[in-house]
Amino acid sequence: MNDRTENLLLALPGILLLGLAFFLPIAQMLLLSISGPEGFTLAHFVRFLSDPYYLNILWRTVRLSVLITVICALIGFPLAYIMTKVGPKLRLGLVVIVILPLMTSVVVRTFGWMVLLSRSGIVPELLRDTGLVGRTFALMQTEAAIVIGMVQVLLPFMTLSILGVLTRIDGKLEEAARTMGCSFLQTIRTVVLPLALPGIVAGSLLCFTLSASSFVTPNLLGGTRIQVLAASIYKSVTATPDWPFAAAQAVILFVGILLVLVPYIKLTGAKHG
Amino acid sequence: MANVRLTDIRKSFAKTQVLHGISLDIASGEFISLLGSSGCGKTTLLRMVAGLESVTAGGIEIDDRDVTSLPPEKRDIAMMFQSYALLPHLSVSENVRFPLRMRGIGSREEQQEKVAAALETVQLGHLSERKPRQLSGGQQQRVALARAIVSQPKVLLLDEPLSNLDARLREDMQVELIEIHQRLGLTTIFVTHDQEEALSLSDRIVLLNAGRVEQQGTPDEIYNQPATSFASNFIGSANLVPVEITDSAQGPVAKLEDGQVLHLDPNEAIRGKATLALRQEDLTLSANGMGLKAKVRTRVFLGARNRYVMSLAGHPLRALTANDLDFANGQEIALAIDPARIRVIAD
Repeated sequence: MNDRTENLLLALPGILLLGLAFFLPIAQMLLLSISGPEGFTLAHFVRFLSDPYYLNILWRTVRLSVLITVICALIGFPLAYIMTKVGPKLRLGLVVIVILPLMTSVVVRTFGWMVLLSRSGIVPELLRDTGLVGRTFALMQTEAAIVIGMVQVLLPFMTLSILGVLTRIDGKLEEAARTMGCSFLQTIRTVVLPLALPGIVAGSLLCFTLSASSFVTPNLLGGTRIQVLAASIYKSVTATPDWPFAAAQAVILFVGILLVLVPYIKLTGAKHG
Repeated sequence: MANVRLTDIRKSFAKTQVLHGISLDIASGEFISLLGSSGCGKTTLLRMVAGLESVTAGGIEIDDRDVTSLPPEKRDIAMMFQSYALLPHLSVSENVRFPLRMRGIGSREEQQEKVAAALETVQLGHLSERKPRQLSGGQQQRVALARAIVSQPKVLLLDEPLSNLDARLREDMQVELIEIHQRLGLTTIFVTHDQEEALSLSDRIVLLNAGRVEQQGTPDEIYNQPATSFASNFIGSANLVPVEITDSAQGPVAKLEDGQVLHLDPNEAIRGKATLALRQEDLTLSANGMGLKAKVRTRVFLGARNRYVMSLAGHPLRALTANDLDFANGQEIALAIDPARIRVIAD
């Protein structure tokens, strides 16, 4: 047995699993999305793309995902930067705090937010009592609630992606920049940010793809009125049930995410090749 | 160009004090070396002048202006790091232009002229569009030097910039540093643990030991008149031999711990317990001549010369000799030294 076949054998379980559990369902979904009563049809796509209701869902999904990604980056970058500057003990503590949300069940975590954000919850109460918002102010079942809940879940992905890159930056570079006339903020802008860019991009892609395809958190915090694409797919499957239309929506989501991923893979691939 | 004045600088990390009150006056245009072994505080002192390390107590003045609490970017200094610290995402010319751009010196065109001139100075004009990682270590180092001198800083700080280079390149760079210093006349503080480097480059050497100034002076003074046993051992790696000096009919003599006697210069004034500093290159070895008896332990072949490690009165003693002298290990030999070349340090 030569090295090649040995490697192939070792990779086989993984390839089989990937094929059966990933490529097969995807292929089936693609087929389903273009099948109608009389064979091949694009009717499901036409229906989705010509209905303002569904276009609105698509737009909301993209808009919220971008917003969540941007907020994650705005919080994640300074957090990761601080983590590289503190001692090892404090860093470990911060890492634990950051990844703690990932260790709790999505349902528990989301119910926690429902308690905090509901009409009589602590957050709206506090805001009303301090007079920052009017009496009718509500957070539950708004896009804001979805954003808050999602940022909490996705922050670790962003923070850890950036942290990985930041820890590899030579601290002497920042010192050198300071001796060359950069203030602290200029150092961040001209040295740290450009060098951390690969981490920020990788974290952003993770955040964007995960939030675009997320379902439980937006559904529970946004309610049925404010739907995102994943929730709409779920509804098409369970309520109607209209499998081909659900498949068409899933394909749109899938292709949308691919469109974001491909330039990134090309860019990083070009750098290594 | 500016003078630098350090007044009673102290530094503590947590509970350990690493600098115990260092005062230095550095004249405008002077090339001064901070010399010492690792952990003596030389790099910490340099970083304090740069503003990268806070000052526990004491004051720093650059160009007669108190900069003790100013951040690095407001001190008008340039620093060259041991690891060069070139910005990997910028090209060579962008790296060199960086201090001009951040300090807002001149228009874009003027900046580019200065960058070109600085790169010419270090003979790297043809590589200006490369990225740092495409350069060899020596080239990166020259880029770092160009970047340090391009903005004509008041003070140039060099943190062991030559220690990552191989021997040949290091010699070339030493010559280059001397020439650049002569041409630009920048006040330069150079940190090194290499005594030869300090001797060949500096106007003045400040020898540091455990956070204190052990001795300072011109290279000639430091080399020929070491004030302490540490200084004589560190500079020129002299052998230190504990003795007791007494008077005899032929003038002062030094008695070794094993009872052997060595005649000293008639003008030697020190008496009692003392340390003799014997330079490796001043010792003359012979198989059966006059002098102190020592036993050969090892020979190290150095090409042009041999180094013999001997045992004298129970202490290891090193000597540099011509490479045609051949003694066997364990052989008893005679050791002679010109009394005028012996330096006596009172204990």
